[in-house]
Amino acid sequence: MNGQRIVALAWKEWREIIRDRLFFALAFVVPAMLMLLFGFGLTLDVENLPFAVVDYDKTAASRDYAYRFISSRYFAFQGYAADEHDVDALLADNKVRMVLVIPPRFDERLGRGEPAPVQVLIDGTFPERTQTSMGYVAAINSAVSLDNMAHALSSARGIPLAEARQRVQPVKLEVRYLYNQSVKSIWSLAPKLIMLIMMLSPPFLTAVGVVREKESGSIFNIYSSTVSPGEFLLGKLAPYVAISIANAMFLWLLATWLFGAPFKGDPLFFAFATVLYVICTTGIGLVISMLVQTQVAAMIVASIVSIIPAVLYSGVLLPLPSLSPAASMLAHALPPMYYTNIVVGCFLKAVSWHALWLEVLVLAAYAVGLFGLGYLLFTKRPKS
Amino acid sequence: MSAPAIRVEGFIKRYGKRVAADGLALTVQRGEIYGLVGADGAGKSSLMKAVAGVLAHDGGTVEIFGAVIDSERSAEQVKQRIGFLPQGLGLNLYPDLSIEENVDFFGRLRGVPSSELAARKDMLLGMTRLDAFRARPMRQLSGGMKQKLGLVCTLIHEPELVILDEPTTGVDPVSRRDFWAILGKLLEEKGITALVSTAYLDEADRFHRVSLFHEGKVMGEGTPAELIARVPGTLALFRAEPQADALPRLKAQFPQTEAMGAWLRVFAEGLDATQAQAAVDTCLTTSASASTAIQVTEWFAREPELEDVFVAMLRQRGARLDTSLPADAPTAAPTSTLAIEATGLTRVFGDFRAADAVNFAVPQGEIFGLLGANGAGKTTVIKMLTGILKPSSGSGRVAGADMRSAGLAIKERIGYMSQAFSLYHDLSVVENIRLYAGIYGLDDRRARQRGDWVIGMAGLAGFENDAAGRLPMGLRQRLALGCALVHEPRVLFLDEPTSGVDPIGRRMFWDILFHLSRREGVAILVTTHYMSEAEHCDHLALMFAGRVVADASPETMKQELIASAGQLLELRVDRPVPAQNALRDAGFANVALHGRAVHLLSHDADTDRERLPALLDKAGIAVQSVGLRPLSMEDVFVQRITALEDAGRRSP
Repeated sequence: MNGQRIVALAWKEWREIIRDRLFFALAFVVPAMLMLLFGFGLTLDVENLPFAVVDYDKTAASRDYAYRFISSRYFAFQGYAADEHDVDALLADNKVRMVLVIPPRFDERLGRGEPAPVQVLIDGTFPERTQTSMGYVAAINSAVSLDNMAHALSSARGIPLAEARQRVQPVKLEVRYLYNQSVKSIWSLAPKLIMLIMMLSPPFLTAVGVVREKESGSIFNIYSSTVSPGEFLLGKLAPYVAISIANAMFLWLLATWLFGAPFKGDPLFFAFATVLYVICTTGIGLVISMLVQTQVAAMIVASIVSIIPAVLYSGVLLPLPSLSPAASMLAHALPPMYYTNIVVGCFLKAVSWHALWLEVLVLAAYAVGLFGLGYLLFTKRPKS
Repeated sequence: MSAPAIRVEGFIKRYGKRVAADGLALTVQRGEIYGLVGADGAGKSSLMKAVAGVLAHDGGTVEIFGAVIDSERSAEQVKQRIGFLPQGLGLNLYPDLSIEENVDFFGRLRGVPSSELAARKDMLLGMTRLDAFRARPMRQLSGGMKQKLGLVCTLIHEPELVILDEPTTGVDPVSRRDFWAILGKLLEEKGITALVSTAYLDEADRFHRVSLFHEGKVMGEGTPAELIARVPGTLALFRAEPQADALPRLKAQFPQTEAMGAWLRVFAEGLDATQAQAAVDTCLTTSASASTAIQVTEWFAREPELEDVFVAMLRQRGARLDTSLPADAPTAAPTSTLAIEATGLTRVFGDFRAADAVNFAVPQGEIFGLLGANGAGKTTVIKMLTGILKPSSGSGRVAGADMRSAGLAIKERIGYMSQAFSLYHDLSVVENIRLYAGIYGLDDRRARQRGDWVIGMAGLAGFENDAAGRLPMGLRQRLALGCALVHEPRVLFLDEPTSGVDPIGRRMFWDILFHLSRREGVAILVTTHYMSEAEHCDHLALMFAGRVVADASPETMKQELIASAGQLLELRVDRPVPAQNALRDAGFANVALHGRAVHLLSHDADTDRERLPALLDKAGIAVQSVGLRPLSMEDVFVQRITALEDAGRRSP
């Protein structure tokens, strides 16, 4: 190992990265941009669902019923519509996603103790959101019904309203959410985005960075000199690892400051595991670069090899236990799942070595394996 | 006696099924400048890479300084003693780094101590005159500067052997000459051995010894003079009218006959000058009827060039030069109709005048050459004339219509073939032709008719269903030409059409162009930086910095050069570099190194022939021979452009 040569290689690489505008953007701007776009765009919470009300009854009771929805933070009231025909256009244009139709004689039926049907029209194009919003509707409706019953009971029996309420609903749920107290999806999403972006960016950068030398022919400078393969890989890849570590730190800042995700774990442990993960994903790029000859091929292979495991087999969108056995096996064979456990553990659960040593070990094995494979595949006297 | 620098025996290299090098053998002695000369795909690069230890070969032995190179480990052992410049102008350099940063990187990569690095860098950048641009990023350098920087980076660790793969391809003649001068000086001073490849046959005399490569085999090895002597014969240059009738008659007897503008050029194999003249006379005067006897008007005979010999060697091995063009087609009546007319054609990009008041005219049936270095404005002019680019001012008329307002109809009268041959590589020959026929709106019957014509003209019979990308370069080029001609255009534009094609292919290509211009009256505009091709043109326009600076026939241009700068003398000497210096000191301005010979321009050739041997003898240099050589278009180009550059420098 000759230090001078490694430094010369790393320094050359660094200057090329910061001077090439496209590469600079790819290295420093794209990861932060992905974090912002995904963080603001990929929220799974359903809030402020736009809706309208068609009130044929126009009584105090019907207005009171509608007001329960209007005052909820889950729904955003867009106004009253005269009849259902007006509503069709609003639904078709996505101006509203839900419509509440209160029929005539709503108040009268309630007063008589008869069933009072209310129609709910919900846009079903996004099943996940539809189910969630339907849940909200059912919850608000049953709260109204319980209230009505409690009022009736209280006035009939002459007992206080509070007692009446308790009689109507004798079993009371006491829920305490652990780790993510306000059940904000961004709390869990932001840390996982670090995993996702650090799975995409380093392989892409590394593969393109190495292959562009093959494509231009400057790789022959390496082949024809006395640089050893180890020196070349160290010097060439050090800048990419360093840039990715800096990016991971910046993403961590975005996750905690901008998205307000709590970080409860051991920063040192997290930093160590993150460096390991970044080396590991850089190694994926290295192996890709040894197997392809053109930058276009490098980009395509890097995208496929990184996006699929990072999105589907990491636990970022679907919880791992809900995967099929085959998919679960695949998830266990790929690094993103292990780092997902680490980020979730560090951010939300405040766990460290004792709970996550196996994950760290797997990442370390991956890093060693990928770099070893890259080293073996690299030859200075290729066949073509 | 130490081992030779390079010894190669039975070298074989395959890429999949394709055999790139088939049993190559050569030996390079220490201190030699050894040339590998041949077309693209002849096997030069494979051999050079294997010698540099960066490509594994499939058979044979490669020895460097006596050590056998057969594994990555053995290759590593000699790499510190070798400098390798891969093919592709500036492609191995780092575009975002400055000149100095590039050199520093190569120095550190090669383990040059910092103390020495600075001194060597100063010396090399000084010699290549790059030191004024140290901080300039490589991507902003001109072709010639990239080439010199590549050389500096290859030499920074003071290798004993340098391997330079086509260092002069794609560079204009002025920069090329400059490059050879610098290389010759450096190699001589440091006693470095060099293995250099080139696709330009006329560069062969820059080497001490050369190997002629063709399709993975070595056709011959030796000094350029030895190789030329291998096929005895005479090169005859003469005029004979009508030229178009004389050509096929001569061709029947002398296969190596070419039209060069208004001249005919015949290689009479095995004949001396007198015999050749008699044979040509007999051939042209003996005919079925006396009325068709053709008289030779002007006559010059001289020693053949390497290209003539190379083609003769290939013919001996069965290569054929004939095309299926009808020799008795009627000659187009000479017309004075102008096919292309550029009047004050100007194109401005921001502050930059890419084309500046360009004027020229091409009559129907003429082959017109547009010469110039990269960036001189050739492509801009072609784009304006084909209607791709709107002129800022001035006008271009093609086939009688103003290109500024011409509609689609006019484009059907124009054929265009670009540098990259613009073929679809995954389509077969027939599919490519049909595609172009479709683009030009030919009906089925005509498309079939023209398709057959293209296949016959280009010699593609038997290759109809091969993918275009797998054809040899020469065939691919003729297919591209056929596609540009499928709609029978009256005007044909060719943008750098013959780079990388072997000499046989080049000859057949020019035969076709000659046939088109003389028999079918097509006007042809060619851009090229191959100066040997310029000699085929009837008329030339030389561009420099967006302007046409000379507009004449090749012959006139040469006469003008003789009048202004003198005739070309060649001196064969024992020590060329000191001889070059001594001649410079004696007041000759244009002294250039060509292998073991020195070229210079002399106003008084007869006196100089007498006095130079004595002059050099005083400097301790033995002169083996002094002789007159014909000027080439390259000499004309270099002289003209150098004068313009000097003038530009004096009055900025």
